[in-house]
Amino acid sequence: MSVIPSDPVIVTVPDIRESAARERREKLSAFLRNWQGVLGLVLVMMFFISAIFAPWLAPYEPNTMDIPSRLSPPVLDHIAGTDQLGRDTFSRLLYGGRVALKIAAIGVSVSLAIGLLLGMIAGLGPRWLDNLLLLLFDAVRAFPTIILALATVALTGPSMEMVLAIVIITSIPQYARVTRTATMSLRNTEFIQAERSLGASTIRILWHHILPNVIGPLLILAAMDVPVVVSVEAGLSFLGLGVLPPTASWGTILNEGYLVIRNAPWMVVAAGIPLILTTLGFTFLGEALRDIFDPRMGKGR
Amino acid sequence: MDPVLDVSDLSVEFRTARGRIKALRNVSFSVQPGRIVGIVGESGSGKSTVLWSILDLLASNAIVTGGKISFEGRDMLTRSTKDMLALRGEDVSVVFQDPMTSQIPVLTYARQMRDILYRRDGLGKAQKRKMSVDMLDKVGIPDPEMRVDQYPHNFSGGMRQRAGIAMAMLTGPKLLLADEPTTALDVTMEAQIIHLLREMQRETEATVVVVSHNLGLIAELCDEVVVMYAGEVVEAGNVHDIFHHAQHPYTRALLECDPAQIKGKSHRLPVIPGDIPDLVQPPVGCIFAARCQRVMPLCLAQEPPLVEGEQGGYARCHLLAGPEQDSSWPPPPEVPTVARGAAATAGAKTISPEPLLEIANLNVKFNTMGPVWAKVRGVKQPWVTAVVDASIKVHAGETVGLVGESGSGKTTLARAALNLVGSQGGSVQFEGQGIRGMAESGFKRFRRDMVMMFQDPVGSLSPRKSVRALITEPMKIHGIRNVDPDREAERLADMVRLPKALLSRYPHELSGGQARRVGVARALALNPKLVIADEPTAGLDVSVQGEILNLMADLQAEHGLGYLIITHNLPVVRHISDRLAIMYLGRIVEEGPADEVFAAPLHPYTETLVCGVPQPDPDRRRTHMVVKGEVPSLLNRPQGCDFVSRCPHARPLCHKVVPPHVTAGNKRMHACHFPLGTVGTPE
Repeated sequence: MSVIPSDPVIVTVPDIRESAARERREKLSAFLRNWQGVLGLVLVMMFFISAIFAPWLAPYEPNTMDIPSRLSPPVLDHIAGTDQLGRDTFSRLLYGGRVALKIAAIGVSVSLAIGLLLGMIAGLGPRWLDNLLLLLFDAVRAFPTIILALATVALTGPSMEMVLAIVIITSIPQYARVTRTATMSLRNTEFIQAERSLGASTIRILWHHILPNVIGPLLILAAMDVPVVVSVEAGLSFLGLGVLPPTASWGTILNEGYLVIRNAPWMVVAAGIPLILTTLGFTFLGEALRDIFDPRMGKGR
Repeated sequence: MDPVLDVSDLSVEFRTARGRIKALRNVSFSVQPGRIVGIVGESGSGKSTVLWSILDLLASNAIVTGGKISFEGRDMLTRSTKDMLALRGEDVSVVFQDPMTSQIPVLTYARQMRDILYRRDGLGKAQKRKMSVDMLDKVGIPDPEMRVDQYPHNFSGGMRQRAGIAMAMLTGPKLLLADEPTTALDVTMEAQIIHLLREMQRETEATVVVVSHNLGLIAELCDEVVVMYAGEVVEAGNVHDIFHHAQHPYTRALLECDPAQIKGKSHRLPVIPGDIPDLVQPPVGCIFAARCQRVMPLCLAQEPPLVEGEQGGYARCHLLAGPEQDSSWPPPPEVPTVARGAAATAGAKTISPEPLLEIANLNVKFNTMGPVWAKVRGVKQPWVTAVVDASIKVHAGETVGLVGESGSGKTTLARAALNLVGSQGGSVQFEGQGIRGMAESGFKRFRRDMVMMFQDPVGSLSPRKSVRALITEPMKIHGIRNVDPDREAERLADMVRLPKALLSRYPHELSGGQARRVGVARALALNPKLVIADEPTAGLDVSVQGEILNLMADLQAEHGLGYLIITHNLPVVRHISDRLAIMYLGRIVEEGPADEVFAAPLHPYTETLVCGVPQPDPDRRRTHMVVKGEVPSLLNRPQGCDFVSRCPHARPLCHKVVPPHVTAGNKRMHACHFPLGTVGTPE
């Protein structure tokens, strides 16, 4: 009369082996359901493609002057108009994207890597080291970016490398601080204690157990930092402290457009649009990534 | 008399990513005025959901899909927000589970309690303060005039819960709801809070609804009991009927699983096999059918009838009425209805003569301030001793239970043995080798042989790792490459009876019992010799904890493991332990064979722990408290014996001299000047 209830979960071995792949597929479909994420991804892809393939996409050479058609409004030949030297703004924007991409990619990834490392060291290491690193981070953060840029430029002269160096130095502290706080809250959790009791080395704990738990917020921070970096470059170039003319960058184009804003307002508008789209794209992508990266965050947020 | 609270056909669903969870289905019960009603059930039974429905404080993804809740004849579900606001805290108030998180840390009690009285416009500030002080006095807070101006962090855990009760009673509610009011507290505090709740109820004649998973608490406190399982009420009735003549197989099984209920010593604990059903698609028929020992085809097809008992109680079961009615059900209380699993290893225990782990006179100190600060402030002793001269031995094949309340230093002792915290003085030997204070590089090889299971089943698993990665991690840590990790993962999952489908899950997707199995698998991955388990049953339901302990016992028999089990729950651990060590304020106060220690304690503190757990029997309610007060802080250790401030048998000598460790004839050690059961004359 008594029926022993059988285990409802019947699983064959191949199923288990496939589960990792299944999980990846699930994450992908979760991402594809998020319209903001998809829009962000499209915008970011556009940014990458336009920057990488600028030489093929651009209808004109970025530095070819065409004085007779200077300050042309947007027409079929020059869809974003021309500047005061008759250079095609659309082509220059495409090339400017290359500068932005270079600075964003190198700047963000290098500062993320260094910040992550320093932050984990500060969070897990001895107290004095933590205090020393914190002092350093705060000292760097206390410097206004522009003053730091002015000072360095006064010493070395403006160049793209200088912009990059300034971007990296000024963004390390924020990554390091976020990492440090997250590491500190993790270091006394039971699972880290459990890893230690199993004999896991500090490096293993950092790499396998702390890193995956702190990287999520950092990637969002990085994705949202890209537009900041791009606009810092644009800002410095606008002030003449960054990329030097004639090299096209969004900042220099904005700067030149600003000079002729009364005669040719479309130039400022044209240079602003890629900045805005890039900012939006990375922000959307960052938020979508966060939702999927953290398995504890459901869709019902 | 009209019921104060009447819940009828209440159904609640939660919207989630997986679909709608049918958390409550047709829940009905009513509460007569002046009664204490207990809602008992395991996790996932929906008992807390009922409580929050009454207050209309359900999470935002919850929908009430049907039913009615009426309080004093008025429907609660259709009341306006403004109406509800006026009701909550005035006519209905709540005692929360964790006073630490339910009280405002930055406001004094005076201020918090004044805020509770915000609707009483007629009262001045001084009057409100007077009311608060009186109420704190009533709940037994010493020196309330002064205490009322303190903050929650100035109060100890038990005092905080007393204050929580004071805050709930302040407005003189007609209905008091208590959500697991003692779960966050120690055993000795639990008894005091139960007592307090009963007294407050008697005095104010309020109606009380208590939600708990703790059968002992329900038996000791309540007049009536509602038993819930997976979102349904399976049985309800008078507390005596429920505990002595349970009608529903689930109630019966739940009672049998409570380790405090088992009189004799039993190496195998009873369990209810299986897991709670998935409430996204609740099964047809009886909700308990999948785990019921008496399941019949009818149970899977048709919903069981509601059968009324003689004294207003009722249960839902096919055994009680209808075509399958069985007049021999329920069997008399001494006949077990729940399986205890195969007792394959009973009596076959072999304990090696040589100790595996030998801790002798170990001390652990924690600094309370830096050395410079201590000099500046003139503090002579800028540290606390968390463990004092602790000695304990564990042999291969033996289970030693280390029992004590929170703050007794039991976890610290274990961590010190494993070199996870530093220790000062004494020795730790593993298989005869001194390992205390060893550098981590040298200690690493010992970590294969001695492993620790941490308290929180889910929280001790790295959250971003799949179960498969987690249970094979020890092999990666110790560089074992000649095994197929996938095959190993499956072998270990089999060993701990974990469904293989769970290998690709993440810790947060597991139930407590499943996560605990992962913890066991991880601990045993490298065939250790010694397992230190910190509260292995913490956070687990009664029906699951037996399963984990049985599993651990089987694995011990198979591999000859030595266990050191750290717990606050003496009734559970005594069934599986060979020896018990009782710890209080960092000192081991008694040690000896488990049966003897439990049956005839020598130290008054052990006696407290033995009687501390409320019995799941309403006829054996305790009328007096064994001990008063709480575990003192390590910062002000009492003079003389550590237990002197709470000991009912304390004599002048105890206040002056620290009792030495004495080994009595039959291998029993104690640290008491006047051990119980011996005729002691004051020296």
